[in-house]
Amino acid sequence: MAERYAVEMKGICKRFGSVVANNQVNLTVKRGEILALLGENGSGKTTLMNMLSGIYKPDSGTISVDGTPVVINSPEDAKRLGIGMVHQHFKLVDTFSAADNIWLGVEKAGMLLKKDRYANIEEMTRRFGFDIDPRKLVCNMSVSEKQTLEIVKVLYYGAKLIILDEPTAVLTVQETEKLFAVLRRMRAEGHSIIIITHKLNEVLELSDRVAILRKGEYITTVDTATTDEQQLTEWMVGHKVTLNIDRPVVEKTRPLLELRDLTIRSDEGAVAIDQVSFYIRGGEILGVAGIAGCGQKELCEAIAGLRPIEGGKMIHKGENIVGLSPQAIIEKGIAMSFIPEDRLGMGLAPSMSITDNMILKNYKQGKGFFVDRQSGRTAAQQVIEDLGIVTPSTETPVRRLSGGNVQKVLLGREIKAGPNVIVTAYPVRGLDINSSYAIYEILNQQKRAGVGVLFVGEDLDVMMALCDKILVLCHGKVMGVVHANKTSKEELGLMMTGALDLTHKYEDKPAGIARDTLIAEEEEQ
Amino acid sequence: MNNRQPLFRVVKKNQVDGRKVILSYLIAVAVALVLGAALLALMKVNPLDFYSKMITLGIPGNRYPARSVEGFIRLFVPLLLVSVALSLSFRMRFWNVGGEGQFIVGAICAAAAAFLLGDVLPTPLVLLAMVVSAALGGGLMGTIASALKVRYGTSETLMTLMLNYIALYLLRFFGETQGAWNIFLTDDSARPRFETFPDSAQMPTIEIGSFSLDVSLLVVVVLCVLVYIYLKYTKHGYEIAVVGDSPNTARYAGMKVGRVVMRTVFISAALVGLAGGFYVSSAGALSTSVTNNVGWTGVIVAWMAKLSPVGIAVTSVLITVLQYGCQVASTTYPNIDSNFANLLQGMILFAVLTADFTARYSLVWRGANKEVSA
Amino acid sequence: MSAMNVLTLFLFNIVVYNIPLLYGTVGEIITEKTGSLNLGVEGTMAVGAIFGYLAGCYTNSLLVGLLVSFLAAGACGLLFAVLTVSLQANQNVTGLTITTFGTGLYFFVGKGLGSDWPGMQGSSALVNGFAPLEIPVLSRIPVVGKVLFSQNVLVYLGIVIAVAAWFYLSRTRVGLRVRAIGENPAAADSVGVNLLLYKYVHLVLGAGIMGLGGFYMALNMGGSFEGSNCWINGYGWIAIALVIFANWNTVYAILGTLVFGFFNTLQIYSGSLANAFPGPLGWLSAIPSQLYQALPFIITAIVLVASSVRSKKLGGQPAALGLNYFREDR
Repeated sequence: MAERYAVEMKGICKRFGSVVANNQVNLTVKRGEILALLGENGSGKTTLMNMLSGIYKPDSGTISVDGTPVVINSPEDAKRLGIGMVHQHFKLVDTFSAADNIWLGVEKAGMLLKKDRYANIEEMTRRFGFDIDPRKLVCNMSVSEKQTLEIVKVLYYGAKLIILDEPTAVLTVQETEKLFAVLRRMRAEGHSIIIITHKLNEVLELSDRVAILRKGEYITTVDTATTDEQQLTEWMVGHKVTLNIDRPVVEKTRPLLELRDLTIRSDEGAVAIDQVSFYIRGGEILGVAGIAGCGQKELCEAIAGLRPIEGGKMIHKGENIVGLSPQAIIEKGIAMSFIPEDRLGMGLAPSMSITDNMILKNYKQGKGFFVDRQSGRTAAQQVIEDLGIVTPSTETPVRRLSGGNVQKVLLGREIKAGPNVIVTAYPVRGLDINSSYAIYEILNQQKRAGVGVLFVGEDLDVMMALCDKILVLCHGKVMGVVHANKTSKEELGLMMTGALDLTHKYEDKPAGIARDTLIAEEEEQ
Repeated sequence: MNNRQPLFRVVKKNQVDGRKVILSYLIAVAVALVLGAALLALMKVNPLDFYSKMITLGIPGNRYPARSVEGFIRLFVPLLLVSVALSLSFRMRFWNVGGEGQFIVGAICAAAAAFLLGDVLPTPLVLLAMVVSAALGGGLMGTIASALKVRYGTSETLMTLMLNYIALYLLRFFGETQGAWNIFLTDDSARPRFETFPDSAQMPTIEIGSFSLDVSLLVVVVLCVLVYIYLKYTKHGYEIAVVGDSPNTARYAGMKVGRVVMRTVFISAALVGLAGGFYVSSAGALSTSVTNNVGWTGVIVAWMAKLSPVGIAVTSVLITVLQYGCQVASTTYPNIDSNFANLLQGMILFAVLTADFTARYSLVWRGANKEVSA
Repeated sequence: MSAMNVLTLFLFNIVVYNIPLLYGTVGEIITEKTGSLNLGVEGTMAVGAIFGYLAGCYTNSLLVGLLVSFLAAGACGLLFAVLTVSLQANQNVTGLTITTFGTGLYFFVGKGLGSDWPGMQGSSALVNGFAPLEIPVLSRIPVVGKVLFSQNVLVYLGIVIAVAAWFYLSRTRVGLRVRAIGENPAAADSVGVNLLLYKYVHLVLGAGIMGLGGFYMALNMGGSFEGSNCWINGYGWIAIALVIFANWNTVYAILGTLVFGFFNTLQIYSGSLANAFPGPLGWLSAIPSQLYQALPFIITAIVLVASSVRSKKLGGQPAALGLNYFREDR
């Protein structure tokens, strides 16, 4: 007889426009177990869970709770089915007290807001071993307090299945321990728990089973006891695939762009990039590997002058560029192309034509009041031909193009400007093989031309084949810089998850600092 | 609990088919007109008669058809310019609902120039002074809101709303307070009354037979073409497009978003002020109802036309036909008020807003889910 | 008239003339607390006014008048809800359209009736209903008794509604949910609050209350229809300003109504007050009346600026005001 699961998801598919977020994903949770949902960011974990909590609706596939098929149309439905989710971005009302945030969703709580709700909630919080002041306003809470409140909230609604989306990312070690103790106790009481994470040690420490997703595809589910870090990493990042990507050998110049002890904060105010040092030479491609969301975005924005730098140095050809405006940085020949998850958010004006997007960074050139669209059109024509962009005309709005072509437009424009440093993040995000190869070839051409390329990527196989060196980030810290042809996928995976630190592999110099640095010279001047 | 899929769900469309949108708008307008016809019939007015009189502006059978055209133009000119001007602000997602106030201040400034310089300078210079001061006055009103928005994040919707009324009461103050200092009032009347402008401050006309063409029409049409060129071909216009489309991208490209917003809102409000200046110059005097609600109607026209200059021109013509046509037609039918235009306009807009939804979103019906939608 | 009588009448009229502002403001606060900025107050009040008045006249019943004004204005609120909540239309444009439509409908109906227009004298229920209701004992207190305790029943109703709305929004669980929607619709949605239902109910309720204010205006104008001026005469717009001044609190709105009403009424009474008290208040007549009318807007503008300079957000202003919410937006 088939086992009855607390929740079973079968053949779930979900797309956003042309992006496939989940493709035929299966997932099962038993009663009284902790299931870890493992995968890199962008692998579709959160999307999958949002379909359980009623935020999104699947395009196809079925969901069963306790063996009965259900349709979850709204968060309300999910709540009634006993499914509660703690989102990574807190869903709290800032101007309300902790108690009121909970009271908001309580079904049977009487019409009036009575003072005893504070005592009621305080007592219940304590019973679960948490410590929050029910009268405290959310806007006065620390990040970890908000997190705790979210968990308490879900528990209060009587959830039988609790989903936590990367709950430990914002907690201290002690708080994490406490949380784990609570989760274990809840498991003992018969709750089912799904914890979304990419930290392997937590998976091994806490979970009973692990389900793994990769790029929206379901990989497998295994008992935690029968697996280990190495195997999980391999599932998460995939098997080594031999790729036929060229890695030309080019004579390297002195460092073009050097970062030393750079510290940057995220929008939420947390340290996103922590004392990071690295350098890029002309004629090399430096890969940046790391679980998505480890500070890559902030790093790119800081280099482009879009995000304030809290500490450290950023030197371009020996000149300090910290604090320069985006315009000034563009003029220095530093190009940045970042493909965000929705592809169109940064760097392109989606409803404008290819021509108009071509001139985004140089529209001010040329005298007079008018925009020189003729040269833009010529540039667009040339980029379309050079990169094989499929489009009806140069005047087609960028949003009408397919993903690969959008990315080619962006990269094409950056290259057209003749930069000496290219920062490119996720340039092949969501592209098919052929388009991806076209983009790699473009980057290699630039490398041959003596340009320094910083390649922030997702796919380790690609990075190992394309890049000269790979810098590994883990939670905003550098875990080491390794030669792409001397490393292994396992080594990179362990560094990405923080299990291996190679910053002091070479005794004479820490990772990321050039022997022939130009920083000292700059200081002497 | 309910285990069934809801009857339909709403999905954002990736692409919008322009022809379908126009078709749905036409259907919307038709539906509203039919509803209006029903109301007219309820009042025992023959809707066809009423509509035909409205659409022809009552010209057939009129002894002075030229007057009708002139009246039409007098309403059309401010509406066109204000709508085009406001669309500049809206392109930057700056909710300038301060058209009324900017129009009034423009009118007051133009009137001040007319009375102060009218008897001193020759006509061209007087007109120039009026135009410049109207634009500056209007622009300043806009800048109050935009500077506060850029610097402190003050809600521009609420701020411009307040400024509308402050300007209105300023105008009433000038219109109702007698005193030696008050250059706007006539000295001949015991009760406060606005003075008519000196001849040198009157908008010139071109006589074509019995029809006198107000020069402001030509100027405004030229201005709208210039705005079109400004938006489409200049560096400023390019910046406006990028900032409006994606502020992040604008910053990334090194644009100073705050400065672009301030500059554009100034131009937008200055043009609204200019419309006020033109209007009083054509009318030859101030009045407390000088705006004729054009600041509000302009918002609606600009939005309905999706901020496109050509669309605004077309929509302005249609709305003016509606407004002026109703005014004319209602003189024939004593129990129909000229405000019927507002009623009809409201219904058309409700219908168009509905049609707009069908253009931007699509409904996925229950059961359609099994097919994979690409 | 003795000096004291002038003062008493002035204070009395501050209340009588301006209670419609309170209705409009309370309605708009309920609306805005769900995160919707409805600029259609003026039109909504006009619709409530004319239909409520006509129904009250024809049935000779104050209650029917109130009910119909509530329903007619509520229909405008429903229209606003359908367009902005279900059809995701822009709130500013929709609100302005409601104002255009509402005033258009007002004149259409009024003009359409022509000579059939019913005068208020014909309806004893409305005349009596709007007559001062003297509260025993209290109304005999000099000045205060006349000003506060011998008002018509709709004045008291307005104050009761304002206090009830305050209680509802700040002390009940449903009110808590309403506020949550205005602050962070995604948060409210994620804990299972039925956004659609809450938005619809409160947009209709808010508009309905605005309509009561319109009905009050109609009675206050003696029910006489003029072809040129709408009864509402800009009160809807002042109400929108008053929402800000009252910091989105319906009890403060009572005080705000008195402050705004003070200036509004001073415009009419500045002359007679100056005559009655030539010593202390003689300067009043020197101030242009339009300044009194503009002051509510000037004060609100200052409040708006001051609060944004200080903290970028007013204490009571819903964080999601004016934004439409679509769950699957990423």
